[in-house]
Amino acid sequence: MATATGALDPSAARRAVWRPGLAGWLARLAIAAVPVGLLARFMATASNVWAQRISLALIYAIIGLSLNIVLGYTGQVSLGHHAFVGLSAFVSAYVVTEHQQSFWVGLIAAVLVGAVSAGVLGLVALRIKGLYLSLITLTYGFVAVNSLFEIPALTRGGAGMPAPRPALFAGNRAFAFLCLLALVVVAFVDWRLLRSKVGRAILSIKHSEAVAASYAINLTFYKVIAFVLSGAFAGLAGALFAARNSTVVATDFQFQSALLWVLMVVVGGLGNRLGVIIGSAFFALFPVLIGLVEPLEHYIANSLNRDPEEFSLVIGPLLALMTIIQFPGGIAEQISPITRWLGGARFTLHPEQKRGTT
Amino acid sequence: MSAVLEITGTGIRFGGLVALKDINVKVPEWEIVGLIGPNGAGKTTLFNCITGLSKPGTGKIVYRGRDVSGLPTHRRVALGIGRTFQNIGLVRGLSVLENCLVAQHARVGYGTLGGILGSPKSFSEERRLKRNAREVLDFFELGQLANSQLEGLPYGTLKLVEIATVMATDPDLVLLDEPSSGMGPDEAHALGERLLDLRRTLNITVLMIEHHVPLVVDVCDYVYVLNFGRVLTEGKPGQVQNHPEVVAAYLGGEVEGHVEHREEAADATA
Repeated sequence: MATATGALDPSAARRAVWRPGLAGWLARLAIAAVPVGLLARFMATASNVWAQRISLALIYAIIGLSLNIVLGYTGQVSLGHHAFVGLSAFVSAYVVTEHQQSFWVGLIAAVLVGAVSAGVLGLVALRIKGLYLSLITLTYGFVAVNSLFEIPALTRGGAGMPAPRPALFAGNRAFAFLCLLALVVVAFVDWRLLRSKVGRAILSIKHSEAVAASYAINLTFYKVIAFVLSGAFAGLAGALFAARNSTVVATDFQFQSALLWVLMVVVGGLGNRLGVIIGSAFFALFPVLIGLVEPLEHYIANSLNRDPEEFSLVIGPLLALMTIIQFPGGIAEQISPITRWLGGARFTLHPEQKRGTT
Repeated sequence: MSAVLEITGTGIRFGGLVALKDINVKVPEWEIVGLIGPNGAGKTTLFNCITGLSKPGTGKIVYRGRDVSGLPTHRRVALGIGRTFQNIGLVRGLSVLENCLVAQHARVGYGTLGGILGSPKSFSEERRLKRNAREVLDFFELGQLANSQLEGLPYGTLKLVEIATVMATDPDLVLLDEPSSGMGPDEAHALGERLLDLRRTLNITVLMIEHHVPLVVDVCDYVYVLNFGRVLTEGKPGQVQNHPEVVAAYLGGEVEGHVEHREEAADATA
């Protein structure tokens, strides 16, 4: 009976999508385990300098995923993310230092502050879109930096607010693992977001508000939710950033950061989780990567008299231009043959594209 | 017989243009009601008023005895009013199956927080939504397209995908905006059969804008003719078909039009 209905079932043909066998899956698992294993080993044995860099890369990846919600999923541009991250960093440090609360209470406070402040911007985004919204986020960032970050009670002026780490993760290597844990949580939430009605609603609104509303989607609610979630991620990143540096100073959160973060998301691949993580980590590690090429570092430090750190904003726009003109999918598109294969498809450089005209 | 949808005195103007004026339309339970008229007559505007995308200046929209005039679009759709669009109301960038998942938005059994935090319920619900989506697609014989992207699919297929997607919203009243556009005569005929079949199995009521006259005659129980934002005439398809003013409205000619002319015009628009 079962075979008879199977033969009649029109879905049978569709289900015959190629899937690897057990050996294929094991091979994929083994290949995927290599970078994960290498990263874990590297993190477990990293020097203090490298551990701090890795923490920064992981925090940048969280910021990247935060920005990706606004940039990739809602299609708006936020140039004020340094304000969300900075404000949350100060709040977490303030709660821990001035109110003798544990690190975790500070972390939760930071997430809430990030979510609420971004939610306010989300309410603005209900009425204003595109270029004008970008301008408002830009202004928001500048106002926050020049007002909130100047409050001595919150920031202790130029000396900065101490942001102690939790006892268990006090060491630099241990702290990097805490950042990794946070990234895993954020990536999980981002994954579920896209696989649930929430993400589908946000993507539909980006495409067409009339169509989304006709699928019973509450436009107001989901537009604000996207910003709130982005702000919550940014808040988490802010608390980790504060603890990584042990002291929060206002100069850490300037407009340049917001710009760099937008670039890293674009270069990583808008809307693509893994691409954004890789792109973000690349820009966080970039100054140390320059250090690996000794003549280049020598040239920058001695002949140009510059800090390699500054070159992120030179190479960033160049890579972003290349991405926009030549490789619209960003890093994600470049590694897609591998990620598709790992996801259980046949390995191919040119996936069958269903395009009508070509 | 109770009416599923009752539009009374609805009018809307855009600036100086009167798009609709004093429209009275009644869609009784289980009927397929046609809405025809030349381009610019206000048919799609009327759909927009029913679903709340446009806010009429006058009149009432009553759905199953409830005045929905003040409700936002998403609430009306959640009550059971599904609609398609003239230019394909699907979400580009999502696959056919994903569109059917979006469409089930109002019937999802987990909350926002449960969804993004990955509650066990959200996983089982997502599996159920996928099963529903596949069932709907299989009904329309679109099963093998489930994982296709929309780009590259023929227009007629997209129209059918859209109807499947609207059925996935689990509607009670379906508003179809030119469902047969982009389809050949055979496909349009098959679509008519399918609509009748849908009504039989799912008890839906339909209001549809359609230019393809044979389809209107085949499936519609009643027809309203719109012209210049007003109801020109109404009646059974056979009566309306021979109504001299309808012929004039379509051809823009004299009231004493010829039946042969009308059929040629109908073929041209189809």
